[in-house]
Amino acid sequence: MSEAWLETEALDVTYGRTHAVRGVSLTVGEGEIVAVLGANGAGKTSLLRALQGAVKPSGGTIRFMGRDLTNAGSAERVRSGMMLVPEGRQIFVSMTVHENLLMGGHLRRDQSAVEKDIKAVYERFPNLAERRDMKATVLSGGEQQMLAVGRALIGRPKLMMLDEPSLGLSPLFVEKLFSLIQELNGEGLSILLVEQNTHMALEIASRAYVLELGRVTLQGAAADLAADAALAEAYLGAEPA
Amino acid sequence: MLLLQQIANGLMLGSVYVTVAVAFTLTISILNFLNFTIPTLFMLAGMVGWSLAFWGLPFGISGPLPWPLALAGGVVVAIVASLIVERFTFRYLKTRYGDSTEHAIPLVSSLGFLLILENLVRIEHGSDAQRFPGPSADLTLSLAGIHLRVPQVVSLAVVVLLVLGLVWMMKSSRIGRMLRAIAENPDAAGILGIETRRVVPVVFMLTGMLCGLAGALFAVNYGEVSPQMGEDIGSKAIAGMVVGGLGSLWGAVAGGVIIGLIEMMTIHWAGADTVQATVWGALLITLLIRPQGLFGHHAIGKGKL
Repeated sequence: MSEAWLETEALDVTYGRTHAVRGVSLTVGEGEIVAVLGANGAGKTSLLRALQGAVKPSGGTIRFMGRDLTNAGSAERVRSGMMLVPEGRQIFVSMTVHENLLMGGHLRRDQSAVEKDIKAVYERFPNLAERRDMKATVLSGGEQQMLAVGRALIGRPKLMMLDEPSLGLSPLFVEKLFSLIQELNGEGLSILLVEQNTHMALEIASRAYVLELGRVTLQGAAADLAADAALAEAYLGAEPA
Repeated sequence: MLLLQQIANGLMLGSVYVTVAVAFTLTISILNFLNFTIPTLFMLAGMVGWSLAFWGLPFGISGPLPWPLALAGGVVVAIVASLIVERFTFRYLKTRYGDSTEHAIPLVSSLGFLLILENLVRIEHGSDAQRFPGPSADLTLSLAGIHLRVPQVVSLAVVVLLVLGLVWMMKSSRIGRMLRAIAENPDAAGILGIETRRVVPVVFMLTGMLCGLAGALFAVNYGEVSPQMGEDIGSKAIAGMVVGGLGSLWGAVAGGVIIGLIEMMTIHWAGADTVQATVWGALLITLLIRPQGLFGHHAIGKGKL
């Protein structure tokens, strides 16, 4: 395994009396795709919220690129290269496509480079280029997902965290999305992928963690987990492995 | 000719309402918060300006200041007061008591600040109206028989520039996009590294500035200030904002002007006693026929800029 970029140690997240994440230690290395799997309520989104800075962990540490970011605000995390593509896209529907992309780079001071990056996103997603001055509401679900990914890219992340990106997309778009993730990974981006679509996630990931009631119950190489009977039983259940 | 004169006066009065209505609109559409301290900030700028011009700086530091400097001081005090209000109503109480009563807490505590500040001024200066020693009323422009006082014309120009600047800022600047992002989806804004607690003071600063300038313009144009001067302006500005459409900057502009015109027309045809009836009547009719207002998108609920 390559050197770890993201490293959490014994991370705890509690909301009042709910202990959503319990002692989770995970790493994402340079250029890795790491999947976090688990059922609804397993603590996946809470984990991401803690990584992104929306909630303060009640215990444990978060390190990224050698820096302790446990108590850092979200701006500092974005600046140091962590970017979340949230569940449900969360694009700004009252803004144009172009303004949404600008929002991704609002912490950057190098405006000409931001414009260049936006141009690159338009080349990658021609559908977005065609609608650049339209309100983001006109986009289809798949296009909105592209916009959410594009917006995150404008922040020049080193690690992209995706929360259930395939949710609500057509199978065709899910295929496209996963090959996009691989493509971005090939360009040097580390990926932390939280997915319910276990099969596809394990297909593109190098390693995976399985969360259950906030704890890591299984971890290992994605290929091993894909073959693991216990996992198959717990999460791949109804579908053929 | 008298009617044209009244229309001109209505526009001038309306421009004061516009400024205050725009301040209300900013906090409502970005923070979903009806900021009750707005009328007080307006009053504070006027009263502090008067106090500086009449008495000078406190503790005998200086004698009476020239009126432009005094008003600038009033505006600064309004901005500082607005930031203090943010610190103790919006930030402190909201982070301490969380989200379940999210809207009620800042609303009620801002109402508290209104009473506190208004009464502090009353204790200091009494509740009498004071004459503001502004520019001479003799400075007039005559245009096709209408007499426009120079300060009024200048005020109108200031308001127009202020609103245009604000609209540009919200639409095209980085801070404007950040504010719109928070207005639409604070969670998504946070994900992109926009920290609400750092941006919210900007809204309160703008609020203080708008109200302070409105108070200063009022003092200059009407030559009179009092601890109660904010009450009437505040309610008329809210009326204007609702008539124009909640959450729309242009709505606040149109609404403020309309209320100013209605007020002057009423005075012209029916006398000053009927003003309240026509202003609130216009508001009622708007709510019945077009609840979202002239420029608003939503009948009720969080507006969008």
